[in-house]
Amino acid sequence: MEEQKNGIKRILYGLFNIYEKRYRPLLIITFLMLFLALSQIGYQLYKTGDFINRDVSLKGGVTVTVPLDNQIDAAKVKRSISSDFPKNDVSVRTLRSTGAIAGIIVEADINGQDKAEVQKLLDSIGKSLGTDLTKVHYGIEIIGSSLGRSFFRESLIALFAAFLFMGIVVFIYFRTFVPSIAIVLSAFSDMVIALAVINLMGVRVGTAGIAAFLMLIGYSVDTDILLTVRMLKRKEGTVMDRVISSIKTGMTETTTAIVAVTVAMLVTQSEVIRQIMLILLIGLIADIFNTWIQNVGLLRIYVERKAKKGIII
Amino acid sequence: MNYKIKKLITNWRVILLAVFIALSLIAIHPSFEKGVAIRSVVANSSASIAGIPQPKPNIMPVYREKIILINNRPIDDTEGYYKYISTLGPNRTIKITTTNQVYTLTTREKFEIIQLNETKKVSLGVEDLGLRVYDAPRTNIRKGLDLQGGTRVLLQPEEKLDPNGIGFLIDNMKERLNVYGLSDIVIRDAGDLSGNQYIVVEVAGATEEEIKDLLARQGKFEAKVGNKTLFRGGQDILYVGRSANEAGIDPSGGCGQSGSQSFCRFRFPITISQEAAQRQADATKDLEIVYDTASKRSDYLSEKLVLYLDDNKVDELNIGADLKGQATTQISISGSGVGANQQQAILDSLQNMKRLQTILITGSLPVKLNIVKTDAISPVLGEEFVNNAILMSMLAILSVAIVIGLRYWKLLIAIPILITMLSEVIILLGVAAFIGWNIDLAAIAGILVAIGTGVDDQIVITDETLKGETSNIYNWKEKVKRAFLIIMLAYFTVVVAMIPLIFAGAGLLKGFAITTIIGVTIGVFITRPAYSSFVEIMLK
Repeated sequence: MEEQKNGIKRILYGLFNIYEKRYRPLLIITFLMLFLALSQIGYQLYKTGDFINRDVSLKGGVTVTVPLDNQIDAAKVKRSISSDFPKNDVSVRTLRSTGAIAGIIVEADINGQDKAEVQKLLDSIGKSLGTDLTKVHYGIEIIGSSLGRSFFRESLIALFAAFLFMGIVVFIYFRTFVPSIAIVLSAFSDMVIALAVINLMGVRVGTAGIAAFLMLIGYSVDTDILLTVRMLKRKEGTVMDRVISSIKTGMTETTTAIVAVTVAMLVTQSEVIRQIMLILLIGLIADIFNTWIQNVGLLRIYVERKAKKGIII
Repeated sequence: MNYKIKKLITNWRVILLAVFIALSLIAIHPSFEKGVAIRSVVANSSASIAGIPQPKPNIMPVYREKIILINNRPIDDTEGYYKYISTLGPNRTIKITTTNQVYTLTTREKFEIIQLNETKKVSLGVEDLGLRVYDAPRTNIRKGLDLQGGTRVLLQPEEKLDPNGIGFLIDNMKERLNVYGLSDIVIRDAGDLSGNQYIVVEVAGATEEEIKDLLARQGKFEAKVGNKTLFRGGQDILYVGRSANEAGIDPSGGCGQSGSQSFCRFRFPITISQEAAQRQADATKDLEIVYDTASKRSDYLSEKLVLYLDDNKVDELNIGADLKGQATTQISISGSGVGANQQQAILDSLQNMKRLQTILITGSLPVKLNIVKTDAISPVLGEEFVNNAILMSMLAILSVAIVIGLRYWKLLIAIPILITMLSEVIILLGVAAFIGWNIDLAAIAGILVAIGTGVDDQIVITDETLKGETSNIYNWKEKVKRAFLIIMLAYFTVVVAMIPLIFAGAGLLKGFAITTIIGVTIGVFITRPAYSSFVEIMLK
């Protein structure tokens, strides 16, 4: 028992030693993660012509939400609807509330302006579910394809502008190039990794997903700013002491966020909120690496270079 | 301990937080009254004839007129209302007691007229009373469309309009939709970064087909004297004066006092076509000039000019005596407004004037609108979403409190953080209720981000101030200052990251962006300072 404890202690000490001394090689891990994520996105772009799996809210089409209380087989429903719409991209998801099925969401990239087409979809859904849709309070959303496209383009502009503005604010405060870039890079990596994972999971991203990627910026910069302020603007203790104190605070922040996001994801009934929470969860996990390995590593290299020039931080 | 508590409740930051929570609760105004709220009144229906007014569009939900009793029977909810209404026969007098007053209505019989060889009148039972109702709202928080059910349509004008044009188009559409008794509607403009213009129409509790039908219909405006049509919108009215120097409060008539009320007169000119002027002259030449006993003057003709929008009477105007038999193309339209004081009377007059101008111009919409997006959310889904969203938020907040409790192992930290989170939710909802902001799913997501980053800040404050190593180097004030430095920097980055989203993509994510910005602002300026004072007083 005692030996085991000592063994664990030794391993932890060894790991800490690696973390403290080998921060340069460790950086390779995060850059490799970023590289892999970018490759995935590149591959997605090459294969599908789009770097993200867009749902109908971003490319135009029709979404029908039907509340149900009986068990259904989503794959079977999808096959049935797809056979009626062989040329279109149809997706069927179940709507869950605390584990139980609460409804079904059908998305199809058909022309929503065409009334006959929409009716055909509704009929097909009714047929595959074996229910009369006119007797159910279903919800329907129709997005014109030009709006979907323009909304997507606009969101990308908004994301780009958000990064730019964020970078400016951080730069105005720190007045140094490397630390500011490190913060922006960390937020960027979180987002890219989250996107790659989401792509791999085959999740279709909608307008809510765009909001989630923006929310990620907020959570990401919180820990990065904490770290950078403590490392560059504080004088107490060694550089490593300041890193450790930042980890204590920062990991508390990230843990609370991860727990809250997970709880929300499990409880919610809304597909919109579930997608937001999923993206946040992946991004927050990526943020642990990007802040405490990548950003710490870059800052330490920066501090060392300054020290060589005779400036002690 | 007593000393600490006394110090805490006299701390101005804590007092500020308490004041904001109190104000928010007043704005949210939780209510447990039963009854059904009137969403809208259909024009020319039994209800409208009995004098039940159309609710004002911007009225706070809790202050809406509510039906409490019908024929002295309590009405608890929508189901109860429709159940009772369905028992009523035609031509019966019923008494509806609302929170404002008692109305007496007469139910009407509905007929269908069939013309075959002879005209036949077939009774279809009782005509609808013309009231659209929903369960009395429990709070002043306006639920977004995705939480209460309804239809949202995003329209794009076929050609580009200037800001005035868009404003006018929106007024015009509002006026038309009001005629159909749809007062619970939101019509607003939205744009995007590429300069596209959109108009968003949201109608709670209406189906997609109803809205599409209304928007597609060409507005038909007619002005009649008796049964003679004098002019129609679009072709006969050539010009409606709306600039400041020709339209407004009448400089010669002005404002006056009548009993305890003030009243003001407005006037604006219109130009009608030569043919319409001739019709006007023909229609009025045989009318009599009426002697008004109240003003002891003979100003007006015996018949009024009645304005119809899609065959519904919307307003009527007195015809000046000097117009009798005159084929004038330049006509001055005047009217009045009342109020408790002159200020209100002026406001009321100008509102009435604007409405009249809008009606007169409403022939057809100035530009063709294309529907680019429609959402219809079923009320059943909406209701489930609300309860679920509340449960989700509460569990998320609770789980954060548990994590904090485990990390610091101190109730004096976990409980205040829990209270801070809850007060942020209350204040955010209070602000939303106060400014009339709709809480939809996107806004709930925004609330969650705001609280999430709020917790981050609370953790920074706790660690910066209570950390062992620095306790000797800096005094308390310095430590709080250092914590807020990190907080403010994180605050500004989040705000600037959200700003582009307000303007992007037809405003689809505007609710999210604005809620987040308001939320983090409340946090940084109200709840965070209170929390840091609490930590200082209780844990120093």
